[in-house]
Amino acid sequence: MYSRALFAGYWFAAPAILLMIIILIVPVLIAAYLSFTDYSLGNPDINWIGIQNYESLFNRSSYKKMFSASLIYVGITAPLSIGLGLGAALLINSLKHFKDLYKAIYFLPVMAALLAMAIVWEFALHPSIGIINKTLSLGCDSWLESVRWYARSCATGFPQWLGDKSFTMATICFIGVWQGFGFNMVLYLAGLTSVPRELYHAAEIDGASSAWDRFRLVTWPMLGPTTVFVVTITMIRSFQVFDTVEALTQGGPVRSTYVMMYGIFEKGIQQNLIGIGSAITMVFLAFVLLLTLIQRWLVDRRTFYS
Amino acid sequence: MAGINLKNIHKSFGKTPVLKGINLDINDGEFLTLVGPSGCGKSTLLRIIAGLEHQDIGDVTIGMSLVNQVRASRRDLAMVFQSYALYPHLTVEQNMETPLRLRDMTTFQRFPLIGCLFPGYYEAKKKINQTVDQTSEILKITALLDRKPGQLSGGQRQRAALGRAMVRHPSAFLMDEPLSNLDAALRVHMRAELADLHRSLKTTFIYVTHDQAEALTLSDRMAVMIDGELLQVGPPEELYKNPLDKRVAEFVGSPKINMLPAEINNEGRITSLGATIRGQSTTYIGSGFVGIRPENLKLVSSRQSPECWAFEVTHKENLGADVFLHGRLGRRGFHGIVRETPENAAELGRGIRTFVKAVPGEALLFDANGKRLPFKQSLDMEHFMVMAEA
Repeated sequence: MYSRALFAGYWFAAPAILLMIIILIVPVLIAAYLSFTDYSLGNPDINWIGIQNYESLFNRSSYKKMFSASLIYVGITAPLSIGLGLGAALLINSLKHFKDLYKAIYFLPVMAALLAMAIVWEFALHPSIGIINKTLSLGCDSWLESVRWYARSCATGFPQWLGDKSFTMATICFIGVWQGFGFNMVLYLAGLTSVPRELYHAAEIDGASSAWDRFRLVTWPMLGPTTVFVVTITMIRSFQVFDTVEALTQGGPVRSTYVMMYGIFEKGIQQNLIGIGSAITMVFLAFVLLLTLIQRWLVDRRTFYS
Repeated sequence: MAGINLKNIHKSFGKTPVLKGINLDINDGEFLTLVGPSGCGKSTLLRIIAGLEHQDIGDVTIGMSLVNQVRASRRDLAMVFQSYALYPHLTVEQNMETPLRLRDMTTFQRFPLIGCLFPGYYEAKKKINQTVDQTSEILKITALLDRKPGQLSGGQRQRAALGRAMVRHPSAFLMDEPLSNLDAALRVHMRAELADLHRSLKTTFIYVTHDQAEALTLSDRMAVMIDGELLQVGPPEELYKNPLDKRVAEFVGSPKINMLPAEINNEGRITSLGATIRGQSTTYIGSGFVGIRPENLKLVSSRQSPECWAFEVTHKENLGADVFLHGRLGRRGFHGIVRETPENAAELGRGIRTFVKAVPGEALLFDANGKRLPFKQSLDMEHFMVMAEA
């Protein structure tokens, strides 16, 4: 009787399990297999080459640059968009009027297609006719020239935001933050609604008279679960950055914005080196898995957080 | 320690008036309960005293100083919330430390990790630890100090919340229905502990409750609020024996007072449901109410006098030491409750018809608007004669 009930359970779960195997597990296994071969699309035969792909991945300087570009991007974009998201959520939450208007404004970049937005940014950031450098050059011959960088730029021209390798990563990160923090803001706004009002009253009675004290004592700890989620999601999303790089820099100049996703695309699809592309994919998956495991662990640790 | 003075407090939420001109003097060291049915504005009044809400009109004075413009965190009051509002991420010890850290440490000393690098940190920390230890010993929660609120039972959380309020030695404690989340047995127990605590701390307690049993047992004085008005303030016995308003008489006392319609004729004679009430009204003529507490209705076996009502028992509640008899009173079948000893009520059960009579001199007379009416002085004489007859 019991085993039959168990069997029925598997039947009910079967469609989901089947789908998961077909569209998730099998492709990952295939990619894992391919990462140990020198396969390229169209080749009749597949040669097993062991860990050769991984070896070159961790030894060649171009791939090392790829990992560092991804880590720099995540390291800059994630904290900034989380901080800005939290700040915007706190500010909007303290408003009496126009809450929805501000929410919509900050959320717009999230909803917009990033590729389309990237083209807008490309125009805006154009070194000579872009609105940004035009606006900056309006400030020449004014007090702004007292800043040394500004004076020098007025003389020699404002930076090529997407062409100068010392500015590209910062520009890409800026667009990433601009695009991503609205999402974090919405998550934090949802988190803020679940903070019990009585705790603020208790904090006020206990003598927390400054906004900072109330934030430290109530808001920040109560947002803990939200923060764990936001951090994980933002880091994974930052690892996945691709559209802006593809549209604006193609990984350049000098591989300064050559992030992992772009690497997968360039190796696996443009150059038809499926083997090395799969190897990068596996490393990428390992990063994401690690982040997810850390998140699970943090969530489990806070079980009695009623 | 300080007395608290409320002068003409008005408060509305939108267009709904919640408090309609409250005047109240709370003495230093007094245990005052604000009691009333839900929605009467008692919690709002407490929150106005605390500074968590602001009155539209009126003055709040704590000690000698007017605190209308003083925010809650600067009023030196402690509050125990109905939900306890303990910080769930902090241990009981950290919860209790919080008010002291906020008062005795600078912003820099309170900074996490690097706070201990600032001068004076360790002295402050030591003093705080001492106070927390002392308080937790008084409340017998030393063993719980390392736990988080989520790992505590309702009663333990209650103690932790009390501890957090006590460590600061505030000038007054404000309690917003602190026992209502506990089970019945624990509530009676904590009631006794709160009374002890008040005796040993000798601080002003302002205690909001809708449970009149808590109010009657705990307070030095109780203030009955109904519909945003303060109807009567006085010691519990006074409010029970001598309510000045029909609503107070009905609210205080369990089971509820028997409030019977009455007619007062131009000679001052009072009749209710076909029976006369001993005593004469002085000034009032017309219809009103007679209130008789259940313990002041006595069973009599036959219709001895015009002061008796017929009584048909519809329900019998046996509480061990007392029996409450619910039934239909008089010809119109008005619902009445009689409190009797089990011996006297032994024979009675559902459907049995008998007679009841008010204990002379114990009836309360109210006019049609619910204001209390005095009896003529001659009542005492008459009362005396009845006693002599017996």
